Amino acid sequence: MNNPYQPIPTKILDVIEETPNIRTLVLKPEKQIPFLAGQFVELTIPGFGEAPFTPSSSHFEREVLEMTIMRVGRATGALFTKKPGDLLGIRGPYGKPYPLKEFEGRDIYIVGGGVGLAPLRALFLALVHEINKYGKIFLRYGARTPKDIVYKKQLKEWEKIKKVDIDLSVDSADEPWERKVGVVTCLMDEIPCDVKKSVAVVCGPPIMMKFVTKKLLEAGFPGKSIYLSMEMNMSCGLGQCGHCRLGPYFTCKDGPVLTWEQIKDIEEPFL
Amino acid sequence: MAIYFLPNERRVNWLARLAGGYNLFIPVKAGNGVHWQRFDKEKVDLDSLALKEIRAAEPIKSFLFSPRERVALFPEPLEEPADGNPALLLGVKGCDLRGLAVHQKMFLEGEFADPFYSKRVKETVLIAADCPEPKDSCFCNLVGLKPYAVDGVDLVLSVIDEGWLVEVVSERGAKLIEGENWQPAAERQINKRDGQRQQAEGVLQQRNPKPLNPNLPQVIAERTNDEKFWAEAAKDCVECFGCLMTCPTCFCFLLYDQAKGDKVERTKVWDACYMAMYARVGGGANPRAKFLKRFINRFHCKFMHGKNQHGFYFCSGCGRCFTACMGKIDIRDILGRL
Repeated sequence: MNNPYQPIPTKILDVIEETPNIRTLVLKPEKQIPFLAGQFVELTIPGFGEAPFTPSSSHFEREVLEMTIMRVGRATGALFTKKPGDLLGIRGPYGKPYPLKEFEGRDIYIVGGGVGLAPLRALFLALVHEINKYGKIFLRYGARTPKDIVYKKQLKEWEKIKKVDIDLSVDSADEPWERKVGVVTCLMDEIPCDVKKSVAVVCGPPIMMKFVTKKLLEAGFPGKSIYLSMEMNMSCGLGQCGHCRLGPYFTCKDGPVLTWEQIKDIEEPFL
Repeated sequence: MAIYFLPNERRVNWLARLAGGYNLFIPVKAGNGVHWQRFDKEKVDLDSLALKEIRAAEPIKSFLFSPRERVALFPEPLEEPADGNPALLLGVKGCDLRGLAVHQKMFLEGEFADPFYSKRVKETVLIAADCPEPKDSCFCNLVGLKPYAVDGVDLVLSVIDEGWLVEVVSERGAKLIEGENWQPAAERQINKRDGQRQQAEGVLQQRNPKPLNPNLPQVIAERTNDEKFWAEAAKDCVECFGCLMTCPTCFCFLLYDQAKGDKVERTKVWDACYMAMYARVGGGANPRAKFLKRFINRFHCKFMHGKNQHGFYFCSGCGRCFTACMGKIDIRDILGRL
């Protein structure tokens, strides 16, 4: 029986402390999860239930998956009690991946906020894996304070990659900080790519998504070139249970990444 | 398709024969309404058999889209469901089939088919029965349906004075009438059936003469932010969710896990989009925290997205929603004002 509700047993190989309330779980599912950047999975926390997460690792490495998770509620709270060797379950992948074919030959302007960098890392790693297919890759990332920055070491490594341009900001600097201070839109006053031909990809807290989208539109990005990670209650992942309805869409099936063009008529799309 | 006749005196024999191969369920008169009941050949009471009456209180989805079902175990997976005695529902109404159409779209036609639903739908035998006596609560004519089924079932049964007529729809249906003394129906009998059907359509037309706005999806989209309109429509709602729990087309479900020793059991239960926490996300944000938004969402789902995406309203015109409603909110009144 092909049972879409059945999770695959998955061992936690490692737990990486990213920030005081964000961790990356390194997971090895018994069977490979054939995800592509942008797709998500349902993670079973035995006895607690399921919650949707987007892998933050590259889809070119599927033996081991990484999920970067912020502690916000009941399920993520339970995940924070887990240690290497513990068992979780995974089912998926679900949703639509980033349309990388359409990104080819274009500059890609990525804007992340807080833990929103997690799904963007899967995209970023997929892009740099085949960097010759794409134009320049710009990454603009903002966190609350320097302590809240995820993937600190990797960001430094990524800055060395040719054709990659990274800029960071923090809302407030409570320790020495050489980059910009301000919300992430402060990094967007000058957008160094041809906005009509480029692609923008955004993931972060709703308020950040709202203002970044506004800024991107003002800069001249067409709505169909702005890709937004939408947060809804994606429960079954199959496009059936109804919980993640966003206007005419089921976020789990039609998203979780939707373009501004798709959602612009929905009242308050950002929660 | 071929039409056959069975005289009244042979009905019990045929029912007993059906019950021999299937879990036979029939609609019976009980209290003020009609309810599904398992056929018991030891206690046959044809007077309580409600084939001419309108749909039962319980939608047929109760048999197919289970109200509560175990769908997974962890870490060892759930085994394939065993083959049981399949159900046969005798007396399915035309309106019931709209629910079936919605669920087949939602649960079978996407990328991921629900194996439990799929198995049950394939196995369950459906015999429709005409609705010659529509009631005040019926409005199937407004949502593009008729008071009788023509397809989507195995047999279509019509009650006439001297016995039952069946029209064979599927091969499986043809087998159901083998071995019993079904005779080819006479033209007079078929005319009688057709007359009853026309009369029922006339009654519905008389009760619900004003068709729905042909641009209903567009109108609902435009009036989405008309809070005054929706607040007035919803003013008597006590949020009991009775409308959604009796609705034959509602498809929402909830998955929840329970620890059973060192195992986890995953259960799927019916859910309702009127529930306050229905759309809440892990971090606590809730796109439809206000009830009015949830009330409007129901109209979006049934009369806008359903029609735009699948070509038909996610409503069967069965009237269960306002029959169950404590506030007596008649959906026809709301639709009529749009």
